Amino acid sequence: MTEHSLWRFSRALHRAINDRHFEDIEALIDEDVEWALYGPIDMFPFLGARQGKDSVLDVIRQLADNFQVRRFDRESIMLGVDSAASMLRYSLTALDSNKPISLRVAQFAQFRAGRLISMRVLIDTFDLVEQALGRAIHLPKMSSVG
Amino acid sequence: MTVESLNRQRVLHLLDAFAGGDIEAALSCCTDDVDFLTHAPIDVLPHMVPRHGKAELRALWQTVWSRYSEVRYKTPHIVAEGDAVATYMHTYFRKRGNDRVVQFDMAVFYTLRGGLISQIREIIDSYDLVQQVLEREIGPLIVGAPADGA
Repeated sequence: MTEHSLWRFSRALHRAINDRHFEDIEALIDEDVEWALYGPIDMFPFLGARQGKDSVLDVIRQLADNFQVRRFDRESIMLGVDSAASMLRYSLTALDSNKPISLRVAQFAQFRAGRLISMRVLIDTFDLVEQALGRAIHLPKMSSVG
Repeated sequence: MTVESLNRQRVLHLLDAFAGGDIEAALSCCTDDVDFLTHAPIDVLPHMVPRHGKAELRALWQTVWSRYSEVRYKTPHIVAEGDAVATYMHTYFRKRGNDRVVQFDMAVFYTLRGGLISQIREIIDSYDLVQQVLEREIGPLIVGAPADGA
């Protein structure tokens, strides 16, 4: 039984972020990959949409520059033939401040011939911003409009 | 037909029913003890607290429909395996108050039991969602504020 592309990609991604070893991940990304990791790009410039392998590798390098993955747990995972969806709980360390950051992440990946052709990632970004700031953001309660 | 394709259809049926405003039809796709959890700032969006059971989910969905006049989804990615289905959705909610459309992406993970949805877990780009609901940027509110929030 062949290993699903997600597992190879996941191992290579974590090796890239934690060990700055980019050769494995580079081989697993399609030249025309579409990538979107939505969130406030003014605070986190590595967020946003990217097209093409070089742009995505640049994002992964920026992630490696900013974070260390301490732990991740897959809370939910679904594997299709050439696709995968997972909900993960990440425990990260922000390298500039040494602050712990805990994130829940939804990841939708599509592969072709073992290479990543599409990645969509969603994060509870309000929580991410509060953790990065180190305090709660106080806003009015949306009792009637939200 | 495989379990996966059946479950995929069940989830799409739920979404169609909800988008059509038929809350009871949407609830009929769920188990009595359906569990709902979204990861969003509940101090800002208090109706998005965890919900357990059909009555609580009905109350949530009624709140949503009391605030929005139109709900639309596009579902570019669906992955199903066994009793689990994950959807990546582009969603559009039109506000009743001023007709503005709140548009955001959402990941939803469903677990099914006996052909009914028993668990719903959502992850949203919540920073963007809050900005659209508030109709203002949050950035200027937090930049330069004291670190202790005082």
